[in-house]
Amino acid sequence: MLQLKHLVIILLLLSPVLVLAQSKKTFTISGTIKDKASGETLPAATVSFVELPGKGITSNSYGFYAISIPEGSYTMLTTYTGYTTDTLKILLTKNMLINKSLASASGQLQEVKIKSSTARSNNILTTPAGVQRLNIKDIDNVPVLLGEKDVLKTIQLLPGIVSAGDGNAGFFVRGGSADQNLILLDEATVYNPSHFLGFFSVFNSDAIKDISIYKGGMPANYGGRLSSVEDIQMNDGNNQKFGASGGIGLIASRLTVDGPLFDNKGSFIISARRSYVDLFTGFASDTTTKHSKIYFYDVNLKGNYQIDSINRIFLSGYFGKDVMSFRNSYGLNYGNSTGTLRWNHIFSSKLFSNTSLIYSNYTYDVDFDNSLDNIKVSSAITDYHFKQDFTYYLNSSNKLGFGLESTYHITQPGTAIATASSSYNDVFLEKKYALESALYLSDEWNVSDKLKITYGVRLSDLNVLGPGNFYTYDKDGNKTDSTYYKSGKIVKSYITPEPRFAASYQLNPNSSVKLSYDRNVQNIHLLNNSAYLSTTNVYLPSSNNIKPEIADQVALGYYHTFHNNGFELSSEIYYKNLQNQIDYKNGADLVGNPNIEADLLYGSGRAYGWETYIKKKSGKFTGWISYTLSKTELKIPGINNGDYYPATQDQTNHISLVGMYQATKKWTFSADFVYNTGDAVTWPSGKFSVDGAPVYYYGARNSNRLPAYNRLDIGATLLAKKTAKYESSWTFSIYNVYGQSNPYDIIFQADPNNANKTQVQQTTLFKMVPSVTYNFKF
Amino acid sequence: MKIQTSIIVLVLFILFSSSCQKVITPQLSNGAPQLVIEGTVSDTTGPYHINISKTVGFYADNIYPNVSGATVTITDQTAGVNDLLTETSTGIYTTHSIVGTPGHTYQLQVLLNGKNYTAVSTMPLPVALDSITFDYTSIKNMIQPVVHYQDPAAFVNYYKYNITVNGVKLNRFQTDEDRLMNGKYINEDLVTDTGAIKKNNLILVNLDGIDKGAYNFLQEAENIAFYNDQLATPATPTSNISGGGLGYFSAQTVSSKSAVVK
Repeated sequence: MLQLKHLVIILLLLSPVLVLAQSKKTFTISGTIKDKASGETLPAATVSFVELPGKGITSNSYGFYAISIPEGSYTMLTTYTGYTTDTLKILLTKNMLINKSLASASGQLQEVKIKSSTARSNNILTTPAGVQRLNIKDIDNVPVLLGEKDVLKTIQLLPGIVSAGDGNAGFFVRGGSADQNLILLDEATVYNPSHFLGFFSVFNSDAIKDISIYKGGMPANYGGRLSSVEDIQMNDGNNQKFGASGGIGLIASRLTVDGPLFDNKGSFIISARRSYVDLFTGFASDTTTKHSKIYFYDVNLKGNYQIDSINRIFLSGYFGKDVMSFRNSYGLNYGNSTGTLRWNHIFSSKLFSNTSLIYSNYTYDVDFDNSLDNIKVSSAITDYHFKQDFTYYLNSSNKLGFGLESTYHITQPGTAIATASSSYNDVFLEKKYALESALYLSDEWNVSDKLKITYGVRLSDLNVLGPGNFYTYDKDGNKTDSTYYKSGKIVKSYITPEPRFAASYQLNPNSSVKLSYDRNVQNIHLLNNSAYLSTTNVYLPSSNNIKPEIADQVALGYYHTFHNNGFELSSEIYYKNLQNQIDYKNGADLVGNPNIEADLLYGSGRAYGWETYIKKKSGKFTGWISYTLSKTELKIPGINNGDYYPATQDQTNHISLVGMYQATKKWTFSADFVYNTGDAVTWPSGKFSVDGAPVYYYGARNSNRLPAYNRLDIGATLLAKKTAKYESSWTFSIYNVYGQSNPYDIIFQADPNNANKTQVQQTTLFKMVPSVTYNFKF
Repeated sequence: MKIQTSIIVLVLFILFSSSCQKVITPQLSNGAPQLVIEGTVSDTTGPYHINISKTVGFYADNIYPNVSGATVTITDQTAGVNDLLTETSTGIYTTHSIVGTPGHTYQLQVLLNGKNYTAVSTMPLPVALDSITFDYTSIKNMIQPVVHYQDPAAFVNYYKYNITVNGVKLNRFQTDEDRLMNGKYINEDLVTDTGAIKKNNLILVNLDGIDKGAYNFLQEAENIAFYNDQLATPATPTSNISGGGLGYFSAQTVSSKSAVVK
C-alpha cells in the first residue's frame, strides 16, 4: 500500500513534465561522445547550441547524450575539459544521430581555454551543489606518498572531504564516518578501499577514467550510504591501437596494456600492480623481518564490444589482495573482488537503457599458526546486484531518469576454524541475509535558460531475511526473545522514501546559486570500535535491532567564474541531520560475538559547515585553495548524559592548498599543503591502580583534541622523452617536507624508565618521505 | 586485536623507517579525585585485604592517597557469616574470620562519609594451572611465560593472570574468558614487557578464577591500561561496585606454578 501512495506522489511530482509537454515541432539529436585517439567514451561532456543559450545537456556515464530542440539551424558545440571544443553547423529537420570524437587538447590541460560563453554558462548551471568531478588527468601532478598516484588521497584535498589521518584509507565527508561513503568501481561497491592497512588505496590510477564525488544533492539513482558517493569509472581501453604504459616506483610497479578487439568494434584493458618490498625482506639479517612477508597486488580488467549501433556490452572486473605474515606465525590476508556485466541499449533516440549485473565481495582471513595454536578467523560480505537504469530524453527541457535495483547481501560476520590441539573452539556465526531494493524516478528540468531543477524520489526497501535466529534484547543486553526464521522468510522490512531535490539559478553569465535537499538511507553498517580503520571489519545489515541510518541534508551554494573562466569560485553551506547512528557500549567485543547487537547503542547526530573553493584553471600556474569550517556532533543516550558531543571526525578547520607550475615543456613542479584541526579524542582525567598497574579514568567523551595536523608535500615531473610512439617521465616527490610530527598513535602508558610515573607516547608515521617513480607509455 | 598491532608495527618497520616515537605532554583535564576500592577474597588462606584510596592526576607520581575511617564489612552470604574488617594501616582493611570457599557468594559493604558502597562476587569453582613453560620466539628479546591448563566445559569461566619475577610481582595483569575456548586445553602466551623476564629468573604465574562482574571490570581495565591507543572511545572501566566508586571486588580462586627460565 505504501508503494502505491508513493507512486501517486511521484506522479504529482512529475506533473510539471506533463503540463509543459511542448506543442512546437521538435527533433532529437543523440549520439555518443568519444576521445578521438583512444575511442574511450567521455562521460559528462557538454553538448550545447550557440543559438540556444542556457540549453544544453551532458553525456551520461557511457558518453551517450540526447537533446530535443525545435527545428532550425544551429551551431552545435561539444565541450569536454581538457579537449578541444568541437563546432558543428547543423540543419535540424529530422531526428539526427551525431557521434562526436573529441581531440585531446595538445599536451597540457592547462592550455585549454573554453572560449564559448555558452559552454561556460552551461558549466555553471549543470553541476549540482555538492558535486565534484575529477578527471584522472587532474591528479597527475599532485604530489603523493611514495609516488603512488592515488585518486582517493587526492580527493581529500577538496573541500568537505577530510582524511582520517596518515596511514588510514578512511576519509570523512561532511562529518560522516568512514563507512558512510559509497565507493563504486564500475558500479560495484568496494567495501575496503585500502592496501597495506590504509597507506594506499586500491584504485590503480592507470585503470581509471574519472571519478564523480557527490557530497550532497545525490541523484536518485544513487543510494545506500549517508555521506557521499565516489563513483569511479574504469577506462574502456583504446579501440584504435594497441598500447602499453606503466611505472616503476619505490613501493609498487604497474603495467597496463590496452587495445582494440573485433575490428575496432571493441577494446580491452588490463592493468596490474604489485608491491615488492617483500622481495627484499628475505635478505634481511633480522629474523623477524626475514620471516615476515608483506605485499599487495591488484588487477583491473575491462572489455567492451559494440555489437551494433544500438547495443554495447561491457565486462569489467577488479581483483586485489593484501598478504601479510609475521614470523610465519600470524597472517592477515584481505581483498576485494568485483565484477560488472553491463549492457547499453538505445531503444530510441530518446530512450537509453543500461542493465547491469554486479558482483562484489570483501573477505579477510587472520591466521594464527604457532606451536600453541592453529586457528583461522575469517569474515566476508558478498553482494549480488541487479540494476536497470533508463534515461528518457522527454523533450528539450526534461530528462527523466528512472530504474530499479536490487542487491542480495550475504554477510559472514565471522568464522573461526581451529585444529584439535588449539586452545580455541570452532566458531560459526550465523550468516546474515538481506535484500536491499530501490525504485527511483527523477527529472532534470530546464525550467528556463536560467533555472534548472532536478528532483525525484528514491524508494528504498530493505528486507531482512532468514534463515537465522533473531533475538531481542533488554537495555542491559540480555536476550529477552529468540525466533528462528526459515530461509527466505522476511524478518523485518524497512521502506523509506528518499526525496532528492537540486536547483540551480543563473544570476548572470558568470555566477549562479544552487540549492539542494536530499535524504539518504544506509542499511549496511560497519562495526569497528578500534581507533584504526581495521581490516578485520564486521559488516552487518539492518536487522530487527539495527534500524536503517538516515541522513537529511540541505545545502546552499554560490558559484562564480571570473577572469574569462580562468578562475572558479564556489562556496557552500550545508546542514545535515542524522538518525539511528550506531555506537558501542563500553567493552563491546565485536569479534566472534553472536550477540553483537546487544552491545550497540543508537543515537542521532547533526553536521553543518561552510566550504569554500577557489580554483585557478588556466595558465602556467594552476591549482586550488579549499577551506572548510564545520561541526559534527552526536547525541547518544548513555554517553555524556545524552548531550551532544563532538564526533571523532569533527575537524573544525580544514585548509588545503594545491599548486602546479608548468615551468618548461619538460618540467612541472607541484606542491600541496594541508592543515586541519585535530580529531576529537578522549584522554584520561586521572589514574588509579589495578593490580599494581596504572589504569586511567575518563571524563566526557571526545572532550580533548589531537594536535592540529599539517603537512607540505612537493613534487616535480620531468618529461624525459616524448615522441609520437614513446613517452617517458620521472616523478620526484617529498611527502611531509618539513618533517612535521603528525600523530598516528598516542598511548598513555607506564613510564618504562620510571616505575613511579606514567607518560604519553606519540608515534609518527611519515616524516620526510622522498620517492621517485619512472613512468612510460608506448 | 593485539595481532593487528604487531602487523601494523611490522608494516611500519619494513616500509617506513622514517616513523618515530616521542614522549609528549599534552594538557589533560584533572578530574576531581574519586574513591577507588580494590579487594579480594580468595580460596587461599586469609586474612584478605580491602584497599581504599583516591585517584590522582595523570602526570602525578603513582602514589595513590589511602583513605581511612571507612566501615568495611564482608559477608559470606552462602554461609551467613559477617566479618567487620579492621583498618590495619591507613586505607588497608583486613579480615578476621571469613574463609574463602569456592561456590560461596560474598558481599562487600563500605560505609564512608555517610555514603554506602556495595559489591557482590561469587567465587567460581577452582581451575588448576597444570604447568608453565616459556616462549622465546615471538618477539626478539622478549621471553613470555606460557600457561597450560584445562578449561572445564561445564562452566562459563573467567580468568586473570599475574606474573611474579624473583619474588617481585610485575605491575601487569591479563584477563581471559572461555567464550571461544570452552572445554579446551588452553595454552596461552602471557604478554610481558621486553626485557622484563631474563634467563635464570624464577617465574611464578598465578591463575585466578574470577566471576563475570570482576572480569568485566578487569578486562576493560586491561584494555585501558595497556591498549588505550587502539580504542576509538576509551572509557572508565565499569566497576562491579555500586554507589559510585571505581575499582572492583572479587571472590576468586588462585592456582600457581613456578619455573626457572632456561
